Amino acid sequence: MLTSWIARREFLERLRDGRLYWAGGLVAVLLLTALAVGWAHQRAAQAEQRTAQAMDYRDWLRQDRRHPHDAAHQGMHAFKPEAALSMLDAGINPFIGSTVWLQAHRQSEVKFNAAQDATGLQRFGNLSVGWILQVLGPLLVIVLGFNAFAGEREQGILRQTLSLGVPPLRLLGGKAFALAGSLAALLVPAALIAAVAVAVGAGEVERLDALLRLGAWSLGYAVYLGIFVFVVLGVSALSSTSRMAITLLLALWIAQAVMAPRVLSELSRAWFPSPTRLEFNQALGAELKTVSNEVWQKNFGSTERWGRDVPLSKWGIALRLDDQASYPVYDRHYGRLWDTWERQQAVQEWSGLLLPILAVRSFSMGMAGTDFAHHRSFTTAAELHRRHIQDLMSEDLVAHADPLGDRHFAYQAAPDLWATVPPFDYHLPHSGWALRHQLRSFAVLCAGLLLAAAFAAFAASRQRAL
Amino acid sequence: MTMTISIDPPQGRRLLSVMRQEWRLMLAERTLWAVGALFLLLVAYALGNGLLQTASRDRAQAAVAQADRDARAAQRVLLDNILAGTAQPTPFENPADPSRMASGYGGHHAILPTAPLGPVALGQSDLFPSQFKVTGQSRVVFMNPSDIESPWHLLSGHFDLAFVIVYLLPLLIFALGYNLLSAERENGTLRLLLSQPLRLRTLLAGKLTVRAAVLLAPAVLLPVAVLLVARQAGLAGSPGAALWWWALLVGAYALFWFALVVAVNAFGASSATNAMVLVIAWVLLVLVAPVLLNLAVTQASPAPSRTELATRQRIVTAEAMKRHADLMSTDYQHVGRGAILVPRDGKIEIAGRLLGNYLIEKEVDEAIKPELDRFDAQQAGQQALLARFSAVSPAAVAYEGMTALAGTGTRRQARFEAQTVAYHEAWKRFFFPRIDARDALAPADFDRIPVFAWQEEPASLVRGQAALAVLQLLVPSLLLFGLAAWRLRRFSVA
Amino acid sequence: MLRANGLTKQYGAHTALDRLDLDIRAGDIYCLLGANGAGKTTTINLFLNFVEPSAGTVEINGIDVVRHPVATKQHVAYIPEQVTLYGPLSGLENLRFFAGLALGRELPRERLLELMTQVGLDHAAADKRVSAYSKGMRQKVWIAVALAKQAKALLLDEPTSGLDPQAASEFSGLLRRAADSGVAVLTTTHDLFHAQQTATRVGIMKRGRLVESLDGEAQIARTDLQSLYLQHMRA
Repeated sequence: MLTSWIARREFLERLRDGRLYWAGGLVAVLLLTALAVGWAHQRAAQAEQRTAQAMDYRDWLRQDRRHPHDAAHQGMHAFKPEAALSMLDAGINPFIGSTVWLQAHRQSEVKFNAAQDATGLQRFGNLSVGWILQVLGPLLVIVLGFNAFAGEREQGILRQTLSLGVPPLRLLGGKAFALAGSLAALLVPAALIAAVAVAVGAGEVERLDALLRLGAWSLGYAVYLGIFVFVVLGVSALSSTSRMAITLLLALWIAQAVMAPRVLSELSRAWFPSPTRLEFNQALGAELKTVSNEVWQKNFGSTERWGRDVPLSKWGIALRLDDQASYPVYDRHYGRLWDTWERQQAVQEWSGLLLPILAVRSFSMGMAGTDFAHHRSFTTAAELHRRHIQDLMSEDLVAHADPLGDRHFAYQAAPDLWATVPPFDYHLPHSGWALRHQLRSFAVLCAGLLLAAAFAAFAASRQRAL
Repeated sequence: MTMTISIDPPQGRRLLSVMRQEWRLMLAERTLWAVGALFLLLVAYALGNGLLQTASRDRAQAAVAQADRDARAAQRVLLDNILAGTAQPTPFENPADPSRMASGYGGHHAILPTAPLGPVALGQSDLFPSQFKVTGQSRVVFMNPSDIESPWHLLSGHFDLAFVIVYLLPLLIFALGYNLLSAERENGTLRLLLSQPLRLRTLLAGKLTVRAAVLLAPAVLLPVAVLLVARQAGLAGSPGAALWWWALLVGAYALFWFALVVAVNAFGASSATNAMVLVIAWVLLVLVAPVLLNLAVTQASPAPSRTELATRQRIVTAEAMKRHADLMSTDYQHVGRGAILVPRDGKIEIAGRLLGNYLIEKEVDEAIKPELDRFDAQQAGQQALLARFSAVSPAAVAYEGMTALAGTGTRRQARFEAQTVAYHEAWKRFFFPRIDARDALAPADFDRIPVFAWQEEPASLVRGQAALAVLQLLVPSLLLFGLAAWRLRRFSVA
Repeated sequence: MLRANGLTKQYGAHTALDRLDLDIRAGDIYCLLGANGAGKTTTINLFLNFVEPSAGTVEINGIDVVRHPVATKQHVAYIPEQVTLYGPLSGLENLRFFAGLALGRELPRERLLELMTQVGLDHAAADKRVSAYSKGMRQKVWIAVALAKQAKALLLDEPTSGLDPQAASEFSGLLRRAADSGVAVLTTTHDLFHAQQTATRVGIMKRGRLVESLDGEAQIARTDLQSLYLQHMRA
């Protein structure tokens, strides 16, 4: 009862002094702009991806008679589908490609990332709803709440309130409600608009899952902003003047929102270093060669590539053996590389305990479906499909080309071979999967919230009335 | 009473008095120590980080170049052995076969070296490819970002000197200057000061100079000293010029924020209000404006679709493969007839499939050229648009200026890609006639295989760009000082 | 020395000063009396060019203040009601700084110490931080600055407010010595006793206008200043 009174008065006061209007208004305008832009981009990308994937498969099916190995070399493309929430948080997608070329003999990496076409200003950030909430959200909380305690202390009102016997924790509770309420007044309508946009943007099948993701995504940000509500109130309670409060809070905000991501990114790279392209290629190439030599030695009695011991009648088998032997090698090397990246990311998520923005960034991308885990799921599926194509082609060669004696490439497969390859049908993992992968960052956020609340409670009970 | 001719009291010594006083005051207060030390720490860390990353990139590039050299040397030795009859070539790794040497087996890297000022602004150096393995294949195949880097890291950006200066220097300028005049007025010392024959502008100049010195010493002197030593960015010549221009750019950027501080103070509001206004200005100019600008430019001039490019490439490749289906269905003849792979009378037999691949790639390259030209044109258009409108945000101007001087900007990248294309053309010009004529490669030819030689940007271009950036920062500064001067005339001391 | 002709200052509709005429010569100690808001501080501010007049002229040593604001400041020393100095620095350092601004050159340490002694601050106090000074001590530092300046005119705003009787008496002595050496003094005050004791001329202001003027110590001694003052205030 008392708490809600305090909350109501606080909220009205904030409304009247205009801060909520101009600060909140500015943020609202930015949010809507970001949403509009994200929505337009997502629609265009989605349409393009669907067309391209369909056309790609259609062209595969319509190939003329040709040697299956050539078909495997030309290959197919796998296009990564746009995540339903990519309009809210583009995640790593601009920095990593969305097209994989599935071709013979080589585990392809994604090509064509958008970043290579971007302007030099890209490093300032891409305008997205996620970015605004992560970077400007805390600033909004600071502007709205920095003088919650400190201002009243300066005016002498705090002394009066406490002299009435109001428990400081109730006071804190009321102010926290009010601050959260002010934020909700601003963000809940925006969230509803986003929900509509997401629902419209998602296909029939994915609509429910997209909305579930949105729910979890919003919850994550609610916890994130909640952390700042408590931190701001706590600092306000500890500061003797509102000037000190806002200086400290701004310094904290700049440290965590602007500096920390960069510093931590580089520290995590120092802790878990990833190889250079050359090192990676050389290691991979060396192991592939060793493994391939072993296989050849065992099956053909020599490691001489395509020499006397491997007549054209054995080329089908040779190719298949090479490919099969290479699969585990690729898995090992790429697995190691990607695991290293994930370990780097884990470091940053853990540091989210002190720097919430890192935890929420990961969570936001994860729930939006634009993080590395989702990308890895896509590239793994693409690679499996590639291997499937390759195996089918190899089977056919062994069955038809090898028996041809001293000919091999004269064999041309009929188009019905192409039809045996299924289209690349990939669906983004569902929200449960995403949540499982983001448990750590969510746990860190919740722990952060508890820490922040404890801090605020401590500060509120310990504060001076004067 | 006779009217005495008034002599305006000279301000020179008074300016020095103000400067000395400010210095003493700042020393006595802890703010100077805190701010100065913090800034020094940030600059040192950023610079160290930049040096480390640039050094590791240099090392990686050197390794690639060395690997190329080693491979070429080995191929040369193998060729000698083949011609001497002591080694038998394999069909896919035959240094005498021009179609093999033109392809991935003999491919060579085009490398964009780091510039002397590289550590200052790492920019897009991790996003834009700085090396391409050039082969006879269509450039759409090999001109792609090939470095492996965690996308999270790409997203986060670097803690380099450019970041510290563009984002954090303004905040430190605010910390030292938000109450430039308002503190004196709120303390009551402003009346005491202005009751002396001291011009308000002398007071301001004195205060500004001390603060500028405190902040610009670590921002300019330290990096200049370190870069002179670490990167031999000498005093003379082009790299030296880049260093001076960088110092000027940082100075101009700092001047803008000092001008803003003076202008805000000139309106005579309280210290708290000044601080709030300045922080809002920072949020708008440094955080929000560049992001919006980026958005506006990419909306106005969007990149052509890469998906479309991939599709087009596939279609073109398929058509070419169809045209050369006959060649592609010829079988290899070398099994049991190894002599086929050895050159005879300066000629060499090239297997049908290899020839087919060569012809296909050649045609794909020609067919895809208009698409790639479209991309290049769009990129150039975007840059032009950005150059025109970036003046909206001093942060964008300063950042672009710094990356340009550090050699990690889009313009130098475009130059690298153009030179790679030229190198590719030279590569094709060397190999393709030999393939067509089935000429075997002799050891002497090896020495004539084109090598990529990077032509650095002309100093005049770098100078011009830097000068433009400095100008784009000076003009708003002058406007702000003008505004300040106008308001200060009505500045109420009482 | 200090002259105002038809000096007027308007803030929007409110007239702070209405056609003030003043002519304060060397050796005068002119006390300006009046209630809060009568225009006393505005007059001082106009002489110092802290505000600009709406009409009329104001001159120091024959030089128009509005046209040559910085030059005129060489000839006048100002002592405000509240003297705040730079807290982290010592009294001596504050004196050195302000004296340097006043004269355009640095004074040697001996001279500064001499000035401090002259105003009654011992050397030990001189090196202490100003944040530890009392109001009286801070005022003394400022008087030392004024003395260093050797200005021909002195403007004081409520100089004795907050001073104990002994300090106030010392202050009056200081003013008299200054006037004797040819300085023109203009002081605003509420302190009728101090005015009666020290002034050679008195002016009473009410709502921006000079309503009463007394010239000469003899006349002042004869007048019941308090009654006269209250009479004007009630009218």
